[in-house]
Amino acid sequence: MAQAQVPVTVLTGYLGAGKTTLLNRILSEQHGKKYAVIVNEFGELGVDNDLVVNADEEVFEMNNGCICCTVRGDLIRIIEGLMKRKEKFDGILVETTGLADPGPVAQTFFTDDDVKARTRLDAIVTVVDAKHFLGQLEQGDEAEEQVAFADVILLNKTDLVSAEDLAKVEARIKTINPYARLHRTQKSQVELAAILDKGAFDLKRILEFEPDFLEHGHDHDHGDEVASLSFSSDRPVDPDKFQKWMGALLQLRGGDILRSKGVLAIDGAPRRYVYQGVHMMMDADWGTPWKEGEKRSSKLVFIGRNLDAENLKRGFEDCLK
Amino acid sequence: MLPPSRSVASDAPVSACAFSRDGKTVAFALGDGRVRLLPAEVKDAETAPQDPVHEGAVLSLIGDPLNDGFISGGDDGRLLRIATDGSASEIAVQRGKWIDKLAAHRANGTVAASIGKMALVIDKAGGVREFGPHQSTVTGIDFSKDGSRIACSHYDGITIWSIGQVVLPPRRFGWRGSHVALKWSTDGKFIATGTQENDIHVWRIAQASDMRMAGYPAKVKSLSWSADARWLYTSSQPVFTAWPFSGKGPEGKPPLQFGDEGAGLFTVVAAHPTAEYVAGGYDSGELQLGDIKTRRSVVLKMSDGSSVSALAWSPDGFRLATGNDNGDMLVIDLRR
Repeated sequence: MAQAQVPVTVLTGYLGAGKTTLLNRILSEQHGKKYAVIVNEFGELGVDNDLVVNADEEVFEMNNGCICCTVRGDLIRIIEGLMKRKEKFDGILVETTGLADPGPVAQTFFTDDDVKARTRLDAIVTVVDAKHFLGQLEQGDEAEEQVAFADVILLNKTDLVSAEDLAKVEARIKTINPYARLHRTQKSQVELAAILDKGAFDLKRILEFEPDFLEHGHDHDHGDEVASLSFSSDRPVDPDKFQKWMGALLQLRGGDILRSKGVLAIDGAPRRYVYQGVHMMMDADWGTPWKEGEKRSSKLVFIGRNLDAENLKRGFEDCLK
Repeated sequence: MLPPSRSVASDAPVSACAFSRDGKTVAFALGDGRVRLLPAEVKDAETAPQDPVHEGAVLSLIGDPLNDGFISGGDDGRLLRIATDGSASEIAVQRGKWIDKLAAHRANGTVAASIGKMALVIDKAGGVREFGPHQSTVTGIDFSKDGSRIACSHYDGITIWSIGQVVLPPRRFGWRGSHVALKWSTDGKFIATGTQENDIHVWRIAQASDMRMAGYPAKVKSLSWSADARWLYTSSQPVFTAWPFSGKGPEGKPPLQFGDEGAGLFTVVAAHPTAEYVAGGYDSGELQLGDIKTRRSVVLKMSDGSSVSALAWSPDGFRLATGNDNGDMLVIDLRR
């Protein structure tokens, strides 16, 4: 009954960024592992493999009245079906179409109990086309959101741009999401260890992904662009106040807040309190204990649109003792 | 004392089980592409396992309404007719799609199958017709009592199609959200669905009115109407849970809950084909038989840690077949 949860990697990226190349490599390379791949454009992969499953990216809205609570029902069904197979998988990769919002895929893993029992969301990997990314940002929200959601970014096709342009693209990525691990690649060549089994959604491992909090949120107006903000404090957090504030915040602004995570020093608690969320869905748990004499500090991160830095800062500070 | 039974193991999960029309053969759909056929009589010698008929997992299985064989659907996109000797012939195939829901109308000899966003209907002569596309993948399919219509569940509601020679426009009944299972009542008056959001939804077809029953701790993936259509049994509770559909219906009434609390929650429930019994399997592996008249239940199998994934009554209601995620297949003889 207590089967190990199969890690699921969500692979996003704009059309032509190099997702298919990456998937083909994962399916054809000799790595001794068995990965099931859920794709949207069947037949695009050059590999004839019965581990490739076609999905139609069927999104539905939950009945809870929140328009940001959208879920991939087809994914629930497919994962359930894959678990009926005799063969067991080392991992599942879910490819989204180039224009897809990664939100519903991620939220599926917060929502469905059967999916949660059998699998765990490992990381969102976004492939970025170094040559066309800046242009894609102009064409709609998708390219920006895919970067915003990412835990790992493959900045691909670096051979097609000058060093100067590459630096520009990288700098732009960092303004959207400075917390993702970024790998520069050509032809999607990357060690599989860099993208698989990262535990980015694992509350126990959230500290490994602990971003460099030295970069503080920028206060200037970003308009509609996705940006990130982080806050920290050495004062202990009042758990009741925090719960109330975060609950109300996500309820109200969950559509704009794409991802959030944090490590909190709760007043009087021997362990860290860690949480992370996608839109208004959130997971939280007690993390590792504070060491003797360790400086206890709390840190939180938001990635989203229309983030009001002053307001968030005040809200957080109101939760401090 | 537990009743006489036959237990057979496989190393692939059981996804469905069914008895043949004559009740002499029982079949189990397995995750390795096999349909395991066994004599329903538990004292008869066990037959050898047959070769896989599907390339991936077998996802669905029912008794063939035309003969004493079976119909199976797989994640290889194939719909097969399986004879009692284990040989298979292909009815339909669509690579890249899964066939995970099947229904049959015994009197008319028709079979309905979900295949992606489409529903297939195979008539007695072997003719295949397609209905759809629906707005999303078909997640449940069932025949009306007289077999003249099929109902399909999908996102945001259900669709009813007339499958006779006269082509009528489909009727849609809406309710927002993802519907994950569907059963048409045995008297043809109601259609019930289980939803992604832990409730069930029931439409009264003639009045086009609907009702919602909430409060389940998990998705209700298994629904079963009693033979007399007075009760709708539902999974996802620790005791047998039946909604009353006689008289004015269940509006404003609590469900009837009876029997001993089992280990875990019911994953599958199956009403007896003729009498007032119901069988239910739990996510812990426990198996119970309930009697709605006496409001009591007995344990047929203790929990063993492997979730019950399939449950079926023989047509005469004397035998029960069940399978679990572990690949254990069990046939129980309940005759006294």
